Amino acid sequence: MAVRPGAGRAGAAAIAVWLLGLALAIGVAVQAHYVADLSAFLPSAPTPQQAVLLDQLKSGTASRLVLVGIEGGDSTARADASKRLAEALRASGLFASVDNGDTTPWQDAGRFVFEHRYALSPAVDAARFSVDGLRAAIDDTLSLLGTPAGSLIKPILLRDPTGETVRIADALTPAQAPKSEQGVWVSRAAPRAVLVMTTRAEGADLDGQQAALQAIRDAFAKLAPVAATQGTAEANATLRLEVTGAGSFGVAARERIKSEVERLAVLGTLAMVGLLWLAFASLRSLAIALLPVATGVLAGIAAVSLGFGQVHGMTLGFGTTLIGEAVDYAIYYLIQVRASSREAGDATKGVSPAARWLSRSWPTVRLGLFTSLIGFAALVFAGFPGLAQLGVFSIAGLAAAAATTRFVFPAIAPRGAPGLGLRERLGRMMRSAAETLPRVRFVFIALAVLAAIALIALPTPWHGELLDLSPIDAAEQKRDAVLRTDVGAPDAGTLVAVSAPDEAGALVGAEAVGARLDVLVRDGVLQGYTSPARFLPSPATQQARLAALPDTATLTTRLEQATEGGALPAARLGAFVAEVQEARGQAPFGRIALEGTPLATAVDALLLRGDATRPWRALLNLQPADGRAVDAGRVRTAIASVPGAQLIAIKPELDALYARYLQQAMWQAGLGAAAVVALLAGYLRNARRLAAVLLPLVATSLIVLAALAASGAALGILHLVGLLLTVAIGSNYALFFDHLKREDEVDTDTLASLLLADLTTVISFGLLASSQIPVLHAVGVVVAPGALLCLVFSAAFIARDRQDDTRGKIA
Amino acid sequence: MRAQAKRPERRAFANRLVTLIAALACTGPSTGFAAPGFDLAQLTAQLARVKAGEASFTEKRRIEMLDRTLESSGRLSFRAPDTFVRETLKPRREKLEVAGNVLTISLGERSRTVQLDSAPEAAVIVEAVRGTLTGNREALERLFIAAVSGSAERWSLELVPRDLRLRGQVASVRLAGRESAVREVLVMLADGDRSTMTIEPLSTAAAP
Repeated sequence: MAVRPGAGRAGAAAIAVWLLGLALAIGVAVQAHYVADLSAFLPSAPTPQQAVLLDQLKSGTASRLVLVGIEGGDSTARADASKRLAEALRASGLFASVDNGDTTPWQDAGRFVFEHRYALSPAVDAARFSVDGLRAAIDDTLSLLGTPAGSLIKPILLRDPTGETVRIADALTPAQAPKSEQGVWVSRAAPRAVLVMTTRAEGADLDGQQAALQAIRDAFAKLAPVAATQGTAEANATLRLEVTGAGSFGVAARERIKSEVERLAVLGTLAMVGLLWLAFASLRSLAIALLPVATGVLAGIAAVSLGFGQVHGMTLGFGTTLIGEAVDYAIYYLIQVRASSREAGDATKGVSPAARWLSRSWPTVRLGLFTSLIGFAALVFAGFPGLAQLGVFSIAGLAAAAATTRFVFPAIAPRGAPGLGLRERLGRMMRSAAETLPRVRFVFIALAVLAAIALIALPTPWHGELLDLSPIDAAEQKRDAVLRTDVGAPDAGTLVAVSAPDEAGALVGAEAVGARLDVLVRDGVLQGYTSPARFLPSPATQQARLAALPDTATLTTRLEQATEGGALPAARLGAFVAEVQEARGQAPFGRIALEGTPLATAVDALLLRGDATRPWRALLNLQPADGRAVDAGRVRTAIASVPGAQLIAIKPELDALYARYLQQAMWQAGLGAAAVVALLAGYLRNARRLAAVLLPLVATSLIVLAALAASGAALGILHLVGLLLTVAIGSNYALFFDHLKREDEVDTDTLASLLLADLTTVISFGLLASSQIPVLHAVGVVVAPGALLCLVFSAAFIARDRQDDTRGKIA
Repeated sequence: MRAQAKRPERRAFANRLVTLIAALACTGPSTGFAAPGFDLAQLTAQLARVKAGEASFTEKRRIEMLDRTLESSGRLSFRAPDTFVRETLKPRREKLEVAGNVLTISLGERSRTVQLDSAPEAAVIVEAVRGTLTGNREALERLFIAAVSGSAERWSLELVPRDLRLRGQVASVRLAGRESAVREVLVMLADGDRSTMTIEPLSTAAAP
């Protein structure tokens, strides 16, 4: 059949525009920046408390922490390996700190601390340098002699008889320390040496994290040969390395996302090609059917890249569902146009089969497209940048695929696709199903009612947590928890954050909060807390301490009196008097002076640098008193008078954050669903038809939800998104049945096209459901069964009238 | 512990040396062969019969770099299985309390808590005294090479840390006692400083 000249020109134009768009999309996609870090799946736009929290999650010390365990061999081999691994890693320069319980690297810091002891010691004030104060302080120090600690004190006794160094060490030593054996940290629970490291690379810098992890593995691998020469080869040969931490999680997640995306893409394509082969058994038709899919995927990538500046790996994984959705348009067009061209003999004079399809079926397909777009639009506003990407990707992809079908197909395949494959059989299956299903619809109605009752009776399944979104499997999380327990690094605690415009202000705030927390520690509410001001007192505090030091003459006189009759005569303390004098002339030091010492790492973990967009922040981690939770109320009351201080309980705060987003997502999903209904109502303009179209969607939602609830799954935002997609996609089938109900004659091929379109959707979302990435799994597990049920229920409920009134026509 | 890993022969030598010292101590004139069968098992069994006790102590510390001996006094108490308190009353109040793995040191207003197993140097001293008082043979043998001499009536127990690194700080702890009471604790530090604690029992509670 000849294409009319006008149509030909339009077709050529359509092809030209399409090819140009395709070229542009390829250009953008090739240059796109692909990422796979997980922060995209953390909510955005949070409150100030949550800003601190998310900051910490993305780039805080916690996100740079690496925990290492060495198992196997004997304790000597493990201790030896721990020391040599730490030594190698400290030298690598990739780590801001490497701690294994060995105090040797602190010797540098020790010198700095010793030189600045009068600015750092919390004990220094005027009273301490009175006669009584000096006597008590010297007695305190002497009481440590003759104990194992004495050997550390003796070398500095004559320079620091008041024991300021001891006081500083006291303040800096955490109450919860790992067990120490043979000079290194070991687990209390298992024969294992443990190390704690902080990478220089930020948590979000996965390449940096990967390099650091690789350095650990390489350094460990190099240990064995050296050990062999020392006669402990046997013990060393059996040593095993365990590495965990946020960085390793991030890297593992990226690997997993990468391999999942590849797996999903390959399987998705294979499944689609297989199905299309069943449908057409023609290579040419297969190639044509894949055109909208390819166009859609490229358009999606290009749109995301242009809109977000990067493309997340997860978005690509989700893209496989687009293959399933986009191919539907091709299936509808190619099969239905073919069907109408076969019967072209009778009523179609002058009207091409393509034009006939455009006038008869396209409006239904277009409506289905719009409902799908509304569903995906809900993702764009879901508050997670990662989900917004999925939304934009799908909207652009579907629109491009539909446009390709609508404008390009009439030009390149004006008579549909050749080849019949097994369509005949699929169509007959569908036809007999369409006859049988309405007879058992009461079963479906009963099921839906049962599901509704179950949903009311069962405890709410909407208790998903942010952690559920993490692609880290339970075994890895458990291993992480075990190592954390070993080193006494609790993952979700309570902290106080103090904001200030500059470094000094943040430290003053930390000191003010510290003074109030001291009272709570004394009262037994807290066991202790960490504060950056212990490593780096504010300039004001340093100045006050140094100003409290007496001059040489005064100190000499007082020291004479204080040491009278004591074991340590003043005559031997000349160095002490001289160094106090020297300290009086010192200027307060800031963070910059700590550079290159282990103190810098310690301070950086607790004092977050500010910039133009965010304030300086001091963090004080609270350690709850034995086995009890931190009494948030008392802490909040205590710190209320410190400006800029906030209490942040990490786990509840994260839960609240997620709950808020779930709430918000519920509203958005509700609005999305309402928009779908409004769209359908506007098109159908008939309450009964609308009700008939909605019935399968409602029944499907109820049954899928009830099944998930009954299986004990914790439902979250992603399941909600899946539900909305189910409604958006499922409405396509309902609409088609509504459309067919009004047709005089329904050919087998059209029914086959519906079944095929549904199968592609079920398969592509089924693949997602099989994914180990929770974000993808959650969507897949809802949409795959949902899409199938929607088709079955649409056949059962909407074909009803025809069944009763004009049975002969459809049968 | 690298020294140990590198030089097993030295460790063996040290072991032999300790054995030799112990053997010499056993054959010394003060103890003789009065009770040749009396060993750590018997001593700890005898000590373990006392479930709780209180005592007063005086301690003398001889520190090389100080002009004179440091003296202090106070009270000791222990309760099976693992609580031990040493309260210094003179010259200044100080309290050291161990319960299980938690060590609390209070000095005036200040008090701090450390986990005993995270500070092996402190654990050596604490376990030597607590382990002996409570007759905890397992703890003593895990940490020390123990040598018993004397008889059930008048015994002495020499404890040398197994860990060479710790032995670099605490050379040995020597406890002496009569029957089920510890009467003297002598701590020899590796640098030559030493402290001698003399104990005067106030009350004991025997096992039922």
